[in-house]
Formats: sequence, C-alpha cells, structure tokens
Amino acid sequence: MVDLNTKNALIGRRPHKKIWHFLTIIIVESFIFYFFINFLTLKEVNYNVILVILSAILFIILQRQKKIYTTIVESFGQYSIFSIVFIILLLLTVPFLFRENSYLLHICIMCGLYLIMAMGLNIQLGSTGMVNFAFAAFFGVGAYTSALLAVNFQLSFWIVILAAIIMSAIFGLLIGLLTLKSTGFYYALVTMAFQIIFHLLVNNLQFTGGSGGISNIPFPTIGKYSFGSSLRILGVDLPYQSNFYYLTLIIVLFSIYVAVGLYNSRSGLVWNAIREDEIAAKCQGINIARGKLEASAIGAVFGGIAGPIYAHYISYISPESFTFDLSVVLICMVILGGLDNILGVILGAIILTIIPEKFRVFAEYRMLFYGVIIITVLVFRPEGFIPKRIRQYTSLAYGKGK
Amino acid sequence: MEILRTEKISINFGGLAAVKEVDFSVKEGEIVGLIGPNGSGKTTFFNLITGIYKPTKGNIFFGGENIAGLPPHEITKKGIARTFQNIRLFWSLSALDNVLLGMHRWQSFNWFNSMFRRNYTAQGLRKNVEEVFNLFNDFAGKELIDRMYQKVRDLSQADKKRVEICRALASKPKLLLLDEPSAGMNPEETIGLMEDIKKIKKKNAKIDIIIIEHDMRVIKGITQNVVVFNYGKKIFEGTFEKASANKEVKEAYLGGEI
Repeated sequence: MVDLNTKNALIGRRPHKKIWHFLTIIIVESFIFYFFINFLTLKEVNYNVILVILSAILFIILQRQKKIYTTIVESFGQYSIFSIVFIILLLLTVPFLFRENSYLLHICIMCGLYLIMAMGLNIQLGSTGMVNFAFAAFFGVGAYTSALLAVNFQLSFWIVILAAIIMSAIFGLLIGLLTLKSTGFYYALVTMAFQIIFHLLVNNLQFTGGSGGISNIPFPTIGKYSFGSSLRILGVDLPYQSNFYYLTLIIVLFSIYVAVGLYNSRSGLVWNAIREDEIAAKCQGINIARGKLEASAIGAVFGGIAGPIYAHYISYISPESFTFDLSVVLICMVILGGLDNILGVILGAIILTIIPEKFRVFAEYRMLFYGVIIITVLVFRPEGFIPKRIRQYTSLAYGKGK
Repeated sequence: MEILRTEKISINFGGLAAVKEVDFSVKEGEIVGLIGPNGSGKTTFFNLITGIYKPTKGNIFFGGENIAGLPPHEITKKGIARTFQNIRLFWSLSALDNVLLGMHRWQSFNWFNSMFRRNYTAQGLRKNVEEVFNLFNDFAGKELIDRMYQKVRDLSQADKKRVEICRALASKPKLLLLDEPSAGMNPEETIGLMEDIKKIKKKNAKIDIIIIEHDMRVIKGITQNVVVFNYGKKIFEGTFEKASANKEVKEAYLGGEI
C-alpha cells in the first residue's frame, strides 16, 4: 500500500498545500450550507424547483469531473476534524439566520429528529439488512414513555429521556426476539404488523389518552431556565425554538458519532456479514441471534432518543404522529440516501424533510412530489445518493495511527 | 491421536437417508480425501460436522468433546473451519473484510467498545489487517493483495476460491473442511491450489484437512487416506491406490455389472 503523498508523486502531481485543503473544505461546506439556507428561505416555489434542478445538474457534473471530485474527497479525508468543526460552526449560526421566522427553525429541528431516526434505522436496514417497518413504533415508545412520566409524575425531562431510552431498548429487544426466526420478506411483514398493533394500542388504550393523545407536556428545564423562554445569546434574542435546535444539534452530533463508531468497528462488520449471508456468517463463528438483537435494540434507542425531544418540543402527542406512514418515510430516507452509508443517510433525511415542507403550496399534490423524487433518484442512482463504500483500513494500518 | 470421530451419524430428509450410520475418524495431521458420486452425501456430511444440519442419530466427537447438535457458531469456535461447494462469500464486502470476518472467533468485542473505546477497537483491527496481509502474502500472491479492496463479487473465480480458503484459515482452525476447492478451476489453477494446500500443511503440520474433490489428481497428489461414500454410506476407507483397485468403489462410480 502506498500512502497518498507517494501516490501523488507517482502520478506526477504535486501534493496540495495544506491551505488549499482547508480552502476546499471551507468552500464546499459553505456552499452546501448556503444552498440549504437559501432553499429554506425562498418563498417563490418556481425558484425552488429551479434550485433543485440546478443542484442536481451540478451534482452530476461534479461526479463526472473526477479531478475535482477526488480533490474534494482527498481534502475531507485528510482534514476530517477541521471539516467537522467548520460544519458545526456553520450549524451553530442557524438560529441567528432564522430568528425572524421560527417556522424555518421548526423545519430544522424536525430535520434533526428525522436524521436521528434514519441513523437508527440505517443500523437495522442498511447494515444488518433487516427491513424494519416498525421504526415509528420505536419513536412512539420513546415519546409516550417520556410524555406519560412527565405529565403524570412531573419528572424532569432529563430523567424521562433516560427512561425513554431504556423502554425503547426493551421494546427493540422484544421485537427482535419475536422476529428472530423470520428473515427477508417475512421479517418485513411481521414488523408491519407490530407497527399497526402499536398504533391501534395507543389509539385505544385508556392511559395513553386514546386518539386525543397527551397534551400539556412540559418544556424541559435546566435549573430555573425553561426551554420555553426565548434564548439570548450575544445580545440577540432568539425564538424559543432555538433551545430545541441546539439540543437537537447536540444529540444529532452524538448519534452520528456513535453510528460512525459502530460502522467502523467489528460490530458493523458483523452486521454486514449477517446481511450478506447468514449461513456463511454462522460458519465464521458469528452468533446471528446476538447480532440481530443488538442491531434491533441499538437502532430502537435512536428512535427512543428522538421521541422525547419531539414530545417535549411540540408539547402534544397523538397516535397520528406514529403511524405506518412515518415508518415508510424513514425507510425512503435510508434507501434514497444510500444504504449503510452514514453521509448518505444524513443527506437523504435532510432532503426528504425539507422538500415536502417547501412544496406545501401544492397541498394535496405534495405527496406526489415525494413519489416523483423517489422514483427519479432510484432510476438514476439506484444505490442512493451516496452508495455504500468499501471499508478502508489504510489509515489504520499504514498511516500514523495512535 | 484422533481429532475427529463420528459414531453412526445419520440424517434423514423425510424418508431419504442422506447420510446413514457413518463411522469416520481423522488422526492429527492427516489429509483425508472424501470422494463419491454426485448425491452420495459428502456435502451433507460436512454440513453435519459444522452444525448446519443436526444429525438425526449418532455422535460427533471433536477433540474428545461431543459436538453433535451444537449451533454452527459454537462449533466454529471449537476450531472447525470450512469452505463451500458453491462459494459463499460476503459478496458486497471487500476481500479484506471477508478475511477479517474469518478471524471472528478470536475477537472479543462488544457494542460499547465499538461506540466509545475507538482507539482500542482500531488497534485490534489494525493488528488483524496485518494478519490478513500476511495470509494473502502466503497463500494468494500479489494480485490478490492489489485487489483486496475490491468487492469479492468482482474477483475471478479462482480468486474467490482463494479468498474463501484464506477466510477459513484466518480462524486458525484445527480442522479444515474443503468442499470441492478445484471446481471451476483450469488445470494450471488446480496445480496452484495443490501447492497452496501443501503450503498450509507446511505452515502448520498439526492441521487436519478433509477435502471433497472430484479431481482425482488432487486426491492422489495430496491425501494420505481416502474415504468413499455411496448413497449416504461409507463404502471404503484406505489409501488411494487401494481405493482405485476396489471393486465396490469402481461399481459406485461406473455402475455395477449387469
């Protein structure tokens, strides 16, 4: 194996200077950020459509131009920490940009929540190959656990979120145990049934408030400070949504961190083996049952974290928020973004949350757009925006390492 | 010393006895050839040893321990590795990943370490990658090292077979089961395969190999003993020379006299 610099020397290309790498990262990230902000703020629908089409063309051109593409990939690969810090800095400014329009901030929060869930579903659907149609139920278990505890026992948000995590993990294990023997289509069918049962149960049970749901869920508090009050940073008053925006951002970053860790470790590798061939996996000494249960429970926890944030942010939940439709939307996000590719799933979740929101003007035709987007992407990029990659160990084995 | 011994193992699929009361044993350091006409129960016998099928009757002793009825992953952990007749690799993973997965039985890992103790995880993987590198170096040659980051689906048939053998070797087995390793190889590649098997033996004299093979040159070239199956029963055990002179074996392959 040759490292990058020697490779460059072999090709006869001068290695780029450090500053150029930094500049590339700054330009690319700023552009993506600017694009999404612009897309959110634009009022005219026509401009939106043009923007979407233009960006798609740009994306295709970029992929064709191998030289530019590899330069970008190289920069991000070499200075990954800088690129992460820079994008976080950009994301921190979002509430300032949207302080006049809290609805846009709301979209951003929902984006984050969908992202967390899609990340969890990716562990099951992308890595392990379990086509789980019950993910909205995991989300619902988290939301209902926290809402019920907070409303009935006046417990603090920080305690109920822990309870929600534990409950969703148990629920995930339970579904995992009951579906251990079923694979492929049968697994999909069984989870569909679970999803529908969950919806029916919360819709009809007394203690979950029936179809009326649970209202007046309190805002989270830190000491005296309530998340319902407007946030004041650097002398600027920000709407109360920015509290939730920052909370969601922290949890999104944390879940990406966890998901990347799992992907790069032996856990991710074992999950992939189960997805590829169960019999061959067994013959390598892999305990299939354990792998599947872990994927089921860990994935469910992602849903169980997103649930409480949603419940306490909207401060009202009803069974209608946890239907089969949500499960399908989440599956679309993962497949569209790219199975088993974390960057792809992030992109898929963001795009599929923002675009339907922007096309609200079309009212009932909104879902039509959804369908059109999915069909277009799957025709032109059948493996999603960013297809799954081959795991690289060069940095591990031959780079500096630690 | 006997490493593997089966006592009257049988399996029935419905009314069909695929393997019938087979007594079989392998001594330490031996290479045994398993031959017989198509459908005589050779692969089923492998599936019984590795736990993919549970025997209807009988015992399998491996290193003095009865492993009949244990799940496949437990049996693998005791030190049995295998390849498959119609190659079963993890198709959309790279050759490197496939062999890394072969080392699974030596790994202690859990999800908590994967999430939060990254240096620890990375160190373990780094060590394993080096090992894979050495394995490829010994058994597969430079071409495969150059292609180790390709999806195994895109490799040539012979390379796929090599990756599968490397994956089996990565688990450092005491007993290696090879199911028709030369299927789909041209004569030169078959010779290369025989060299590879001899190399395995040279690296680790203690390893036992049971090999199912239709290519008699391979059987003649590398095995000490052959066992002949017909209709799920063992009909012969002994050296290749004796087997090729045996009347019953000839009948099994060519049909009996009318």
